[in-house]
This record gives sequence, C-alpha cells and structure tokens, in this order.
Amino acid sequence: MAEKDYSSAEDTALVRQAQKGDAAAFEELVFRHRDRIYARAFSMMRNEESALDLSQEAWVKGWQRLVQFQGESSFTTWMTRIVINLCLDQLRKQKRQRAESIEEMNEESGGVERQMPVVAVNPTERLERGELRQRIDKAMNQLSYEHRTVLVLHEFEEMEYKEIAKTMDCSIGTVMSRLFYARRKLASLLADLRNEKS
Amino acid sequence: MRFNPSLFSRFAPLALVSLLFALTVSAARAAADFKFEVQLVWATTATNSPNPEHKPVEEEVHKKLSELPLKWKHYFEVKSENIRVSKNETREARLSKICRISVRDIDGKNFEFALIGKNEPVLKRTQKLPKGEMLVLGGNAPDATAWLVVLKRIE
Amino acid sequence: MNEEQQLKLQAFLDGELPETEAREISAWLAQDEEANGLVKELRNTRQALKNSQSPVRVPESREFYWSKIQREIDRLEPAAEPVRKTSWLQTFRRVLIPAGAVAAVAIIGIIAGRQFLPAQLASAAESEMTVADSGAFTYHDYAHGTTLVWVSYPADH
Repeated sequence: MAEKDYSSAEDTALVRQAQKGDAAAFEELVFRHRDRIYARAFSMMRNEESALDLSQEAWVKGWQRLVQFQGESSFTTWMTRIVINLCLDQLRKQKRQRAESIEEMNEESGGVERQMPVVAVNPTERLERGELRQRIDKAMNQLSYEHRTVLVLHEFEEMEYKEIAKTMDCSIGTVMSRLFYARRKLASLLADLRNEKS
Repeated sequence: MRFNPSLFSRFAPLALVSLLFALTVSAARAAADFKFEVQLVWATTATNSPNPEHKPVEEEVHKKLSELPLKWKHYFEVKSENIRVSKNETREARLSKICRISVRDIDGKNFEFALIGKNEPVLKRTQKLPKGEMLVLGGNAPDATAWLVVLKRIE
Repeated sequence: MNEEQQLKLQAFLDGELPETEAREISAWLAQDEEANGLVKELRNTRQALKNSQSPVRVPESREFYWSKIQREIDRLEPAAEPVRKTSWLQTFRRVLIPAGAVAAVAIIGIIAGRQFLPAQLASAAESEMTVADSGAFTYHDYAHGTTLVWVSYPADH
C-alpha cells in the first residue's frame, strides 16, 4: 500500500489523523516541530544529550495523550508545555540528587543582586547576533535551573507571571524575585564578558 | 496460576459481606444534607472598595486567597449566599444580575458546581469539597480588578 | 530602593501592573534617576535575550530521531496477540470466574478507599471540568486545600 503524502496537510488535519492512530501523520508533526521542541528542551537543560532524550520522551507522551488535545491552543504550544514539564521534572530530580550549595541558597534569596550597582552601559550593544548568542549562552549556563527556567518561560514562551507560577508550582512572588535575580545576574555576567573582551 | 474453585467458594461470602458493609456506609453518608457558603468577591489593589457596603472578606478567606498566585491584595465581599443540597439535588444561588451558581450533590461526596453568566454556562466542575477546603472560580474584571466566586462547605 | 519597589519596577516593565499603579510608576520614573537606570538595565537584558534566540536544530537525521520515538511507542503499545480458538465454557472457567472475584475485590477496595482516602488525594484524583473557555487554567494549593479555576470570562458585576 502506498504511503500517504502528508507534507502539504495542515497541523490540525494531521492531529485529527494521528488521533485516529495514524502514526505517519504523527511522524509528519514530529518532523515539522522537532527543532522547536528540542530547542526548548535545550534552553532548559543546557545539554544536548538530555535535550534529545527529553524531547523524544515528550513526543512519546504527546502521542499517548493526543486524544486529550482538543485544540484549545496550537499543537506546538501544547507540545511545548509537555516538554517544559518533563524538563522541570528532570531538573527537580537532579537538584534533589545533589546537595544544595550555599551559593544556590544565596541565589534563591537574590540578596546580593538586589544591592548590585546598575549596569549603565548596554553590554550587548553593537554585538553581532552570533556573538550575542554565544555570550547569552555562556551566561545562561551559569544560572541555576530555577532562574534559567523563569527567564525561558517569560522571555521565550511569553508567559505571564501567574502562568509561570502555575508551571513551576510556586507563588507569583517567587516568580517575580527569581525573574529579577536572573535578569540582574545575567546583566552582570554580560557586563563581565564585555570587560573581559575589552 | 490455576483457578481454585474451593478457595473461591470460601472467599465469596466474605467478599459479599464486605461489599454490603461498604455499600451501607456509603449510602448512609450519601443521604446527608450539605451546606455551602458561596461568596462573590471583588479582587483589587485598592485598599478601599468604592461601594461602602462591600466589606473585606473574613480573615480565613483572605489568608487562603493570599496564598494563591493572584496579583491582587484586597478582597471585598460583594454578596454571600448559603446553599443547602441533598443527594441528587441541584440548588442555585444568584450572586449578581448576570451571575448564578448551582451546586449538585452527585453521590454524597462529589459535587458539581456550575457557574452561569448571562444565562450561559461558563464552567462546570465536579469535585469533592471537604470542610476546610475552598474552591475559587475567578476571572478578570474591568480596571485591572477581578471577580471571584468562593465556595466553602460549612456543613 | 527596597525590594518591593524593585519588583514593582520590573512588573511595570513586564506590563503586569494595574493601570493606576503603572501611572504612579511612570511618574516616579520621570523624577528618579536610580529607578530609571534599573528599568533601563532590565529592559536591555530582556531585549538581549529576545534577540539571542538561536535556531537550535536537532542534531540527528529525521529518520534516526523518529525511529527512537517509534520504538518507544511500539514498546508501550505492543501488537495484540493472535486469538486462539477456545470453547465458551473454557473461556468462562478460565477468565470470567477469576475476573468476577477480582472485580468484587476491586469494588470493595474502591468503595472502602473512597471512605478512608485522604480527602485531598481523593479530590485531586476525581475532579473534572467542562468549561466554555479555552484559556482556563486550574491551580491547586494542596497545603491550604484551595483550588483556583481561572477563566477569561468577562465580568461586569
């Protein structure tokens, strides 16, 4: 039997087909959106191997839960929420496995960063896009997962505070402090990187 | 593992008695009436309500609302009603000109709460609501305020 | 500047403040250099992040990436075993009688469980919702026994 050509079908049609058990339709959805789902996993995990595993696990979960998808958001948004939740579970597990350092406890309260002088010059001004990415990547790697996640959810997923609180299972106040800390820390790291270069 | 008929015949009367006991306990609990307090609450950042008749919600409710991921700090009670329901019964309370809430006792433990706005269903939720727990339905209102419907079981 | 003021400035930048408070902050920013500097820094960082979204790609071919997903799906949904021909009586003996006993125990277990299960666990497991609003979300505060359901239904009470 010849395989159906789904390359020109819309996502909604592919989802309907996949909900009926059509794996080829689901494969097409994976093909179309795999980079986005992987990118989100990578932005949270900062590790290629974990991002690959978790993005693939998210697709398996997506297939299993597909009947629950009623089109209340776009398919990619729905899949992104799945991968975000899987990454958060994994990061929480990793955190439980290692002893919390004093530095992390300081990060949580953000006490030092609140007192930090304001970075007056825009440290990313006149940077090439590639260089900017590199610097941001380096700085993001230095943040704790809670602070990185809050940045990812707010800046990349454009979630409101209350949505982030729900996703991360914490209060809005915690979201606000984490976001503030993460931004200030990022600003100082970027400024340091600029000074190193000059 | 092979099926053993003699073991089954010994086990069956015990299972039947346990089943009858559990059903009796369940039926006795289900027959009771339940009373709910329903409050329409206005959430705002303003310290005073423009309507002097609106009083701040009681401390216990305020504390629970403050624990939720909501950005408002002040909560004023606009209206409060009590609803008493028996098994399989649905009772309704009007909270404002456009908003009504109905409660249905499904089986003595699970309740269906239906919110109706402008004569159209807004949401229907089925859950348990033991004493001490609270269900809050809410949404944004004009001028960056919010409306909340707070449900508590009081009996 | 205290912590509350700093977080308010951030909320202002993120459009999370109600209109009246946002107006107050604007007025404050117009006359406070320190507050202005902090908002500028936060804005720069936000902008830098937005501009830095890199086009990350899956470092595997389509086929290889899909094959792992497919294997896992197949593992979780094994193909049905071929049906063997058995007599009705055999089926009754082998399946229905033990299944009946298991079902009776399960019913007792469920009913008894419902009586004695902690209320919080029971309510979390059994709640269900129908809502005429795709933007609705539910939040559970298990510590205080509160459930919040937020809908985008407009109100003018």
